[in-house]
Amino acid sequence: MSAVPYTARSAKPNGWWGMVVFVATEVTLFATLVGSYYDLRFKTPRWPPPGVPDPKLALPLILMAALVATSIPVQLAVGFSRRAQARGAQLALLTAMAVQVAYLAVQIHLFADDLSHFRPQGSAYGSIYFTLLGVVHLHVVVGILLEAWFVVRLFGGMTRYRRVGIEATAFYWHTVNVLAVAVTLVVLSPSL
Amino acid sequence: MIWEERPGVLGWLTTVDHKRIGLLYFFTSLFFLGAGGVEALLMRTQLAQPNNKVLSPETYNQMMTMHGVTMIFLFVIPMTTGAFGNYLLPLMLGARDMAFPRLNALSYWLFLGAGLFLYASVFMHTAPDCGWFCYTPLNTSTYDPGLNVDFYTLGLIFTGLSTTAGAINIIVTTFKLRAPGMSFNRMPLMLFALLAVSFSLVFALPPLTTNLVFLELQRKLGFQFFDVANGGDALLWQHLFWLFGHPEVYIIILPAMGIATSIIPTFSRRKMIAFPLVALAELLVAFIGFGVWAHHMFATGLPIGVLVFFAAASMMVVIPSTIQIYAWLFTVNLGKPDFRAPLLFIGGFIALFVIGGLSGIMFAAIPFDQATTDTYFVVAHFHFIIFGAAVFPILGGLYYWFPKVTGRMYHEGWAQASFWVTFVGTIVTFFPMHLVGLDGMTRRVYTYHSGYGWSTSNLIETIGAFVLAVGLLMIFANLAWSRFRGAPSGPDPFYGGTLEWTTSSPPPPYNFAVIPTVSSPYPNWEPTETAVEVGESHETPTSTVRDGLLDEVVHMPSESGWPIVLAAVVSLLFVMLLTSHIYVAAIFACLGLLIVAAWHWHEPEQQA
Amino acid sequence: MRLLRPELLQWYGLFGAALAWAGQHVVNIGAGLAHCTDASRHWGMDIVTWTIVVSAIGLTFALLAEAAAISVLLETRDAEYDGAPPAGRRHFFALAAALGNVLFIVAIILNVVGALAATDCRQA
Repeated sequence: MSAVPYTARSAKPNGWWGMVVFVATEVTLFATLVGSYYDLRFKTPRWPPPGVPDPKLALPLILMAALVATSIPVQLAVGFSRRAQARGAQLALLTAMAVQVAYLAVQIHLFADDLSHFRPQGSAYGSIYFTLLGVVHLHVVVGILLEAWFVVRLFGGMTRYRRVGIEATAFYWHTVNVLAVAVTLVVLSPSL
Repeated sequence: MIWEERPGVLGWLTTVDHKRIGLLYFFTSLFFLGAGGVEALLMRTQLAQPNNKVLSPETYNQMMTMHGVTMIFLFVIPMTTGAFGNYLLPLMLGARDMAFPRLNALSYWLFLGAGLFLYASVFMHTAPDCGWFCYTPLNTSTYDPGLNVDFYTLGLIFTGLSTTAGAINIIVTTFKLRAPGMSFNRMPLMLFALLAVSFSLVFALPPLTTNLVFLELQRKLGFQFFDVANGGDALLWQHLFWLFGHPEVYIIILPAMGIATSIIPTFSRRKMIAFPLVALAELLVAFIGFGVWAHHMFATGLPIGVLVFFAAASMMVVIPSTIQIYAWLFTVNLGKPDFRAPLLFIGGFIALFVIGGLSGIMFAAIPFDQATTDTYFVVAHFHFIIFGAAVFPILGGLYYWFPKVTGRMYHEGWAQASFWVTFVGTIVTFFPMHLVGLDGMTRRVYTYHSGYGWSTSNLIETIGAFVLAVGLLMIFANLAWSRFRGAPSGPDPFYGGTLEWTTSSPPPPYNFAVIPTVSSPYPNWEPTETAVEVGESHETPTSTVRDGLLDEVVHMPSESGWPIVLAAVVSLLFVMLLTSHIYVAAIFACLGLLIVAAWHWHEPEQQA
Repeated sequence: MRLLRPELLQWYGLFGAALAWAGQHVVNIGAGLAHCTDASRHWGMDIVTWTIVVSAIGLTFALLAEAAAISVLLETRDAEYDGAPPAGRRHFFALAAALGNVLFIVAIILNVVGALAATDCRQA
């Protein structure tokens, strides 16, 4: 039997579509969390409740901007993969990872600092505040793990499988960055 | 031959073949149908007479909750999407397997793990006992302190993982693995139903997961989502639950509609009337179904100015289903109907769907709903829909595709008898519930007093339930007997229109030796002259998304042990979460990540 | 761009009314819930005006989607619903959309009727 001759490929690969559909579930998850935030907020005359400090604006917004900026090296990694340049892709991914890990470290510090001032068990505000932030940080961790995986694999060179994986990871990261903006603005909204 | 299956038990444990996985789903969900059925018969026995002492109130609550949870999460969804969906989708598309065969295997083993996890609670007599929708504040640790509700939350998050994986697989397979020429407008109607179901699952499961995570955080760690005293909202549980729960009921029925729209053209011997409308109707039901959730909350005290929007949408959602019913009836009437068992079950389905649909639309009127909510009128409605309109097509579909899966014909006379017994049993069980509900009998009561006038109806319903059980046993006895003694069926005993009938019965592991090209939604009735020869080993062609043009050839993975291993680790993770061993749970989570890495270490051979 | 035009019209015709209905539905529900809670007393918006404006915007998008669907339907009137793509596929989607959009338009109008009939915050 003869194989089908390859034509110029025009459709996105299966793995990319799989990531798109998975991301759709995660976006829905965040939409639900944000909806819950506002449902709880509508029911509460004082938000944050008395004794809980208003969210600080400056540092979270700077961190958010830094995270969003990592979409650039992530997309550069996609470009390198398409041109079969494994080293370039690795460096781009490592650049993105460096910023993202730093982002995460500062966010964990802020999270712990918040916990010393108010607890999730104290109010609905605390519960939804820490849950929203915790879920977004978990998504950042997963994104970093995906990038780390490809950095390791690329030591063996570029293959089509890895290129598709990097494209899928890039889609994931762009979405996570948009979600991080949304969540940050929601969580900061009492101070805006 | 293009490729073969690994033999023996190891072959089944490591299979990634969609047909084997479909069969695994079939037998497992059949087991859970039996379990849910036993729970139902126990409940009906308890309710047969007033002030009965067959089950204690606590046991009754557990049976009632597990009946709902089992039938919905462990029977209907896995049977329709996992068994029918997995087995038929690649065959109808002209593909060799699903887009992600190992993910497919994982979704089955996760389903099995989740089912065993949930049923461990039954054996420990700490099964969930809060009703299948488990409202706040009953579900909090103040009022339900044992492990019951924790089994519920963790068990449903667990099944959600399996179902989400399955939905992703169905969507990507339908988009990308179509036979050349199968543009969107040339897809069989069953595939529109599976697409609608899968998109619904993708968007409906996250609200449920969020709700369950909120509950578990509140129960285990004291978070305050639902506790009014600390600014929480008790209604938040209901909003989130029904944001999932209403699309869920369309998820239950859509594959059944897909099965009906597969059987009707074959047995009416003509194409489906108004094909584009029927395809659209399946997607519309799913879409509008996301906007009606608070019609389950008409009696909660929400403001009238908000509830009117849900009443309006609830009236609209019935229209696409009606379009389908008319299309089906016209198709049968304008065709030359052959009322063998599959079409007989579809006829029963249409009758029961109309009755259940009519009682359903009555709930869109807020005053009527406020009078009848939480009565047996609701129980009647949803059993007509779930049993009548979701299960009857499943039973018809089992007869219809039985020859394809086994290569043998079922016994026709016995099949017809089994239909009538099941149909009569259904009516006798569920119709009196309308009357007894209007007479004031509330849901979820474990017994009732003798002076209310409900006793006769309840007794009739119980008799009906046993008749229904006999009907089901007749069906499965027929299938079991015919599996070994049925006459050989050949590839196409009913002259069906879709691609699964063009290959042998049962299909070879690779489904199609050559991939057919397609120029019609009924490719077996309107075949093309061309076909595409693909691949020397384990390869399948992919298509463009909109127009089904041949895109490229991809390499499919062979058997793998990673899915079952990962599912086992995830099961242990959930057990650790249940018993609050957080650090061990974290270790299992890390182990799971390592397994995912190992799974992806060897890449399928590709031309770079 | 000329090649894209029927394609874009087809997709807008198919999804526009559905998304418009969904959007105005969610916004109106949210506004209705917010209006009837303690926390919103200081927002001071008139719920009837808000509902009419949001629904009118949704209705406009829905009617435009119907127009798009009908224009694609007329453009592909010679194609069969199961004909070769792209014309056959566009005809199929446009046919389905042209009829389905009517449902969404009626649904939006029903929403407005309901909202005008029952604007207060009393419990149902």
